[in-house]
Formats: sequence, C-alpha cells, structure tokens
Amino acid sequence: MIEFNRVKKVYPNGTVALEDISFEVGDGEFVFIVGASGAGKSTMAKLLLREEKVTSGHLTVGQMHLDNMPDRVVPYYRRKIGMVFQDFRLFPNKTVYENVAFAMQCIGEPKKNIRRRVPSLLEVVGLEDKLKSFPDELSGGEQQRVALARAIANNPDMIIADEPTGNIDPQKSMEIMNLLVKINSVHKKTVLVVTHEKTLVDYFKKRVITISDGRVVGDHRGGMYG
Amino acid sequence: MRSYSITYFIAEALKGLWRNGVMSLASIAVLVSCLIVLGAFSSLVANINYNLDEIGAVNQIVAFIDPDTSDEDILALRDSIAAMDNVSAVRYISREEAYQSEKEKYSEYPELFAKLEGDNPYTASLVITFADIDRLVNLEQALGEEESIYKVSKRTDIAATIESFKQTVILIATWFMILLLVVSVFVIINTIKLAVFSRRQEISIMRYIGATSGFIMVPFIIEGVIIGLLSGGAAYGIIRAAYGYAARSVSEQLSFLSVMPFDSIGWYLLGAFLGIGLLCGVVGSLISMRRYLDA
Ligand SMILES: Nc1ncnc2c1ncn2[C@@H]1O[C@H](COP(=O)(O)OP(=O)(O)O)[C@@H](O)[C@H]1O
Ligand SMILES: [Mg+2]
Repeated sequence: MIEFNRVKKVYPNGTVALEDISFEVGDGEFVFIVGASGAGKSTMAKLLLREEKVTSGHLTVGQMHLDNMPDRVVPYYRRKIGMVFQDFRLFPNKTVYENVAFAMQCIGEPKKNIRRRVPSLLEVVGLEDKLKSFPDELSGGEQQRVALARAIANNPDMIIADEPTGNIDPQKSMEIMNLLVKINSVHKKTVLVVTHEKTLVDYFKKRVITISDGRVVGDHRGGMYG
Repeated sequence: MRSYSITYFIAEALKGLWRNGVMSLASIAVLVSCLIVLGAFSSLVANINYNLDEIGAVNQIVAFIDPDTSDEDILALRDSIAAMDNVSAVRYISREEAYQSEKEKYSEYPELFAKLEGDNPYTASLVITFADIDRLVNLEQALGEEESIYKVSKRTDIAATIESFKQTVILIATWFMILLLVVSVFVIINTIKLAVFSRRQEISIMRYIGATSGFIMVPFIIEGVIIGLLSGGAAYGIIRAAYGYAARSVSEQLSFLSVMPFDSIGWYLLGAFLGIGLLCGVVGSLISMRRYLDA
C-alpha cells in the first residue's frame, strides 16, 4: 500500500514540483501516471525512492513512513522497489548476465542464489540468449528488458518505471508494457508506470492518475489517457 | 545469510587504481617520499643515539687543582668529592703524572719538552666520573664552591654538541614529515575523488538498487589501503638499500663513528611505514568520501 497524503514538494531552489498530492495505491495494483512534462511525475518517483524528502504532508509505503525514515535504513527500503528509467541505466562494461547478477551482489546475495536466479530472470524478459552481450550491443528495447530483469532481481514489492518507453521504438514499447503488465499479474508486484504513450494507456484499460502542475486532476479505473 | 565477496572489492579497487594510473602513481610517489624522509631522519637519530651511548660511557669531568694546594689537601678534596651526590669515581692525576702522559702523547716531538728544561707547567687534576648527566649542573655547582679548584672542564662538550644536533634533526624532521604527510593525504584524497567521480554513474545506480554506503565505499577504501601498503613497502626497500650504502661509506670515511646494523631498526621501520601508509590511505579515502557517508 502506497499512500500520498497531502504531499507537497518544494525543491531547495524554490520550485514547487508537487503542490498537494493525495492518493492511495493498493498492493498488487497497476497504475499509469500521466501528465505534461514538468507536472511533477518524476518528483513523485524520487519521493517514493526516498531520493528526495517531502516538504509537507505524509508519504507511507507499507508500514514505512518515508517522512522520518533514518538515512541508514534507506538502502534496505530501496531493495523493496525495482526502479526502471527512461535511459535504462545499465552498467556499460558489464554483460547482460553481469548487470542482473550485480544487482543481487550489491545487496549481498550469495553466489549460489545468483547463479540459480539470473538465467530465470532473463527468461522472464526473453533475453536468455543474450547473456554475454554488452549493453551497447543491444537495441533500446532489449536494454530496457535487461533493466526490467534487474528491477525484479531482488524480488521487490513494487516496480516504478519512469517513462520506460521514452527511448524505445514505438513498435517495441508494447513489448515493454506487456512485460510490466505480466510482472504485475504473474509476479504480483505493485507497478507504477509514468508514461506519455496515450495509445498504450488507452489499450490496457488500467487505473490512470493524471497529474497537472503538482496536483492530481484525474484518477480513473479502467481509464483513458487525459 | 548475506555474503559479500572480498575478491569483488579488491578487483574493483585495482580497476580504480588502474583507470586513474597517473594519480595513483602520484599518490604513491608522494607517500613514498614522505616515508623515506621519515626513514632517513629516524635512522640518523637512531645512529646518533647509538654513538652518543658510546661517548656517554666517558661520563667524566676534570677539576684542575690550584698549584698552591698541598698533597694532603688534594687527597682530602678527592675523598670529599667522592662522597658527593652523583659521583661514582674520582681519580687523582698528579702534576708529575700529567707531565709524563703529555710527554708520551707528543713523543714524536721531544723538542717541545726539551724547551721546558725540567719545568712542569701542568697542574694536578681530579677526573670525576658522574652517574647522571641531568644532575651534572648541581655537581658543577658544588665543585665551584671548592676553593682549591680553579677550573672545571667538561669532556662531555662533544656529547652536548651531538645532543643538540640531534634535537635539531628531530625538530626539522618532525615538521618536514608533517608537511609531507599533509601533502600525501591531500594527493590521496584527490586520487580517490577522481576514482569516485569516474564511477559516479555506477554509484548512483547502486544506490537505486539498495546498496549500502559501506558496500559502495569499500572498494575505494581498499584503493587507499593498497596505495598505503605499496608506498610503505617501496619506501622500506629504498631505505634498506640506501642504508647499506650509507653505512659502507660512513665506516670507510668516518671510521670513528659506528653504524647500527640495519636489522636492529629494520622491523620498526617496516612497521612504521606500513602503519603510516595504511593510515594515510584510509584517512585519505574516508575524507574524500565524507559526503557519501551520510547520503
Ligand atoms: N532537483 C530539482 N531541483 C529543482 N527543481 C526541480 C528538480 N527536479 C525537478 N525540478 C522541477 O520540478 C518540476 C517537476 O519536475 P518533474 O518531477 O521532473 O516533472 P515530470 O517528471 O512530470 O516532467 C519541474 O518544474 C522541474 O523543473
Ligand atoms: Mg520526468
């Protein structure tokens, strides 16, 4: 359960990114977050990752109150979130296999578990035959699939994807969205997808939260874009 | 059960050192210079002490006796001095003995003594061996109060000169060392900062994944440790070689000085070098990652 309760975010330079945001997302839900550029969508993702702190209001994820979470707890909290970015953010000098394995290594997963789990993760995203490729040998869509495999590697409760199809050919965007839907339905993860892809949002008929100027201006189940 | 692989940390540290090779070498070079200065000065001080101990065996001063003093009075004086605090022995050298010993010393120049035509220009003296150089001033004061003593000469002048030379060496070495240590740490800080900078994207991804600051920092701390240990080892090798060379030339050209065998200071130097190297490396990397410690 994610709960934004009258969240306001003002950046140190005075920019008001979020004015007054309130909504809830239940466990296992799939939500599209849409809105114009600069509306505050990425800021919401940063707050959820505790990369930024709320200026006022409350943000709760599960039992965790992010407003007063001590810094030393943050890494452990983040292990429960799989983050996917528009620009993939893979490790350029690691292979596909190593990229996923490293996510597990980072949190101290034993080698044995890593060896067992990485191939099945890459199977989920359909890249089992590209284990040894480096990111720059892959298409944008393939790189994003590696990022998805990495996002679920540590078995998080929630996936946050910030414009995951922004750098991908339109034909391949559908694949990525389908994977996110599959991760939601098969792997029972809460999934938040920030996107501009009207066609896709309309196609999937999921919950759509619309943000404008730091406020929620629409929240529709089985919704359409805008 | 969490498990972190030490080989990963070391491999990352070595990659980091390699990637910024010039800076890594610069750090090592500066730290090695610093340790060599430390080694050179402390070897010098150790050898000064070693030689002082030998000179110090002659803990003696000489009291010259007024020529008008009678033999009985001199002997009485000798006994009273022997009873003084801090005096371990007193030896009486009569005018005649002084004359004979000087004559022997200059036996190659008999004409010097021929000119004296039987006159004895030497005064009788008491050679006083004392126990504690720190209380020598008190003894000298007590001797000054004796009317039949007209002059006290110190044979410890050389020792005192060497002692003050040693103090100067220690003073210069200390400041030089502090300066070089500050420079070393500064260069290491910049080396590690560069290593962190060239990996900043990886670090930010690791943060999103949920890596702890500790996990992220360990490779950089190991970089510092490697710089420190390599510098310590290199400095030890250089000092060892230089010491042997210096010892040979000293014993050839300044044969009155004795040189300590390297082995009696070698282990201390190795320990100090590795310890200081390690400390500089770790302190340098911690300082350069200060802002990561609380993020
Ligand atoms: N680190 C930051 N410092 C200051 N202003 C920021 C920062 N990040 C975002 N902003 C501003 O906050 C507003 C919302 O940005 P963002 O959340 O990135 O919007 P979106 O993702 O919806 O395009 C924008 O006006 C943006 O310029
Ligand atoms: Mg954005």
